[in-house]
Amino acid sequence: MTTSISARTLGIEAAPSSALGPIPFPRLVLVEWAKATDTRAARWLLALGGLSTAGMMLAPVLAPTSFDQTYASYLGVAALALSILLPVVAILMLTGEWSQRTAFTTFTQEPRRIRVLNAKLAASMVLGGGAAVFGGVVTAAGLGVASASGRALEANLTVGAITGYLLFVLLNVLAGVALGALLQTSATAIAASFALPAACAVLGTASTLVADWIDMSTTWSWVLESDWGGHVPQISVSVIFWVAIPLAAGAVRTIRRDVT
Amino acid sequence: MITTTALNKSYKKVPVVRDVSLRCEPGTITGFLGANGAGKSTTLKMIVGLVRADRGTATIDGRPFRELPNPTRVVGTLLDASAMHPGRSGRSTLTIAARMAGVHPRRVEHLLDLVGITGSAAKRVGTYSLGMRQRLGVAQALVGEPRALILDEPANGLDPDGIAWMRTLLRDFADRGGTVLLSSHLLHEVEATADHLVVISGGAVVAAGRLDDLLASSTILVRSPDPVALAAALQAARIDHIAGPDDALTVDVSGGRVTTEVVAGVARDHQVLLTELRRSETNGLEQLFFSLTTAEAAPPQESAA
Repeated sequence: MTTSISARTLGIEAAPSSALGPIPFPRLVLVEWAKATDTRAARWLLALGGLSTAGMMLAPVLAPTSFDQTYASYLGVAALALSILLPVVAILMLTGEWSQRTAFTTFTQEPRRIRVLNAKLAASMVLGGGAAVFGGVVTAAGLGVASASGRALEANLTVGAITGYLLFVLLNVLAGVALGALLQTSATAIAASFALPAACAVLGTASTLVADWIDMSTTWSWVLESDWGGHVPQISVSVIFWVAIPLAAGAVRTIRRDVT
Repeated sequence: MITTTALNKSYKKVPVVRDVSLRCEPGTITGFLGANGAGKSTTLKMIVGLVRADRGTATIDGRPFRELPNPTRVVGTLLDASAMHPGRSGRSTLTIAARMAGVHPRRVEHLLDLVGITGSAAKRVGTYSLGMRQRLGVAQALVGEPRALILDEPANGLDPDGIAWMRTLLRDFADRGGTVLLSSHLLHEVEATADHLVVISGGAVVAAGRLDDLLASSTILVRSPDPVALAAALQAARIDHIAGPDDALTVDVSGGRVTTEVVAGVARDHQVLLTELRRSETNGLEQLFFSLTTAEAAPPQESAA
């Protein structure tokens, strides 16, 4: 064991001036990205997400009569598959700080907590973008298998459809981030991410107000199908409800919460 | 330099920290001593902005912690060694801290070596003993080459070798001009490590100062064949005293005005013969500390409020 310790090790000499500035935002994003992907649990979850997406892609390949044999329909399957586990990954990025108590280190290294939240938001968007690309690759593979089996597929993928797909995936990630930021407990937030949309769907059968303006399974499917005509207000309201409000409230809660 | 002025914190209207003011100078190790639940951790967390103070301020080198651009480069903290992600390896835990601080990745290996956990660096923190987590936590605190350290119960979980190692490291850090603030609930641990002391009880500071001064006994024992005359002489000189032990008298010198010399002078002036005059052997700090911790161990009184 070392008993003679150099001054440099203990670091009492003045740090170089470059170190005295704030932590650059890209560095915070990189750190959050590393934290979201460097544990065994996180890798299992990501692998599971990948496998389930590939698995669900088998449905339109194996059951051609139940699914439209179009490019957009295959991409829609990938989107739905991603929307199951991706929000969970996003939730854990936020709640992990509290459940694993790493907030002690994180918020002493960067006491401006809003910067950490923004970095998590940015990292989650990178994750969502990467997942969307992965979903695209799985879709291409599914389409390849289907067309190799001699099936005729309608090549109906427009820029609008791809944009809708990307937005849908990112919205699901954002909803996870917002819920995680607000509830701050992994189990509660994950349960809520499955229960609340389901509850809205049920309420939607009783109230068209909920069905058309709040229920994300309706409004966000318009996004996925790139069906914007006349739906922009409803889509906006549901995004405010599921993303903006919980995210803002979660930011306030995160900033004010005592780390104990 | 670490300073706090009249920090206050209540949880659900129950005060846990009351008007705590501290001042830790460069080159010193300040021991923050108190029983469990006395308010040590809450005070340290308020200094580093993890807990919001209801009132009062805390600064590091003259600035509130939350205003330090990259705090890790100024003050290293170890507030809870068990607050680490169990699924991450020791090396990757430290690498994340190093990246945040913006120091060279080479420093990670260097620090792992310094705290003696290189052999376990690839293992997940969940498999570490508390002592190993403390060592990793110290490495994390040192990662940004800070000028100050704030450590909450750093000796917890360390074996005797580890405790000796920690003392050497902290002494070395302070000797090179660093500022150290560490908490402990063990008087002997603080006595062996710190040179300054702040004692907290029930959320309030009850004693503070240089360890040597606080350890010095606060009473003088004085004995005369004629205790009645001696008591009268002290009374005339307005020196507080009590009878005992035996037929000797005990003089309170905590104010600093009264010394053995003063007592001797009073005896001479009143023609009283002294047969014994010395500092009491009792350890004032120990008495104080145990009286405080015993009082806390007793069931709490019903509050009138």
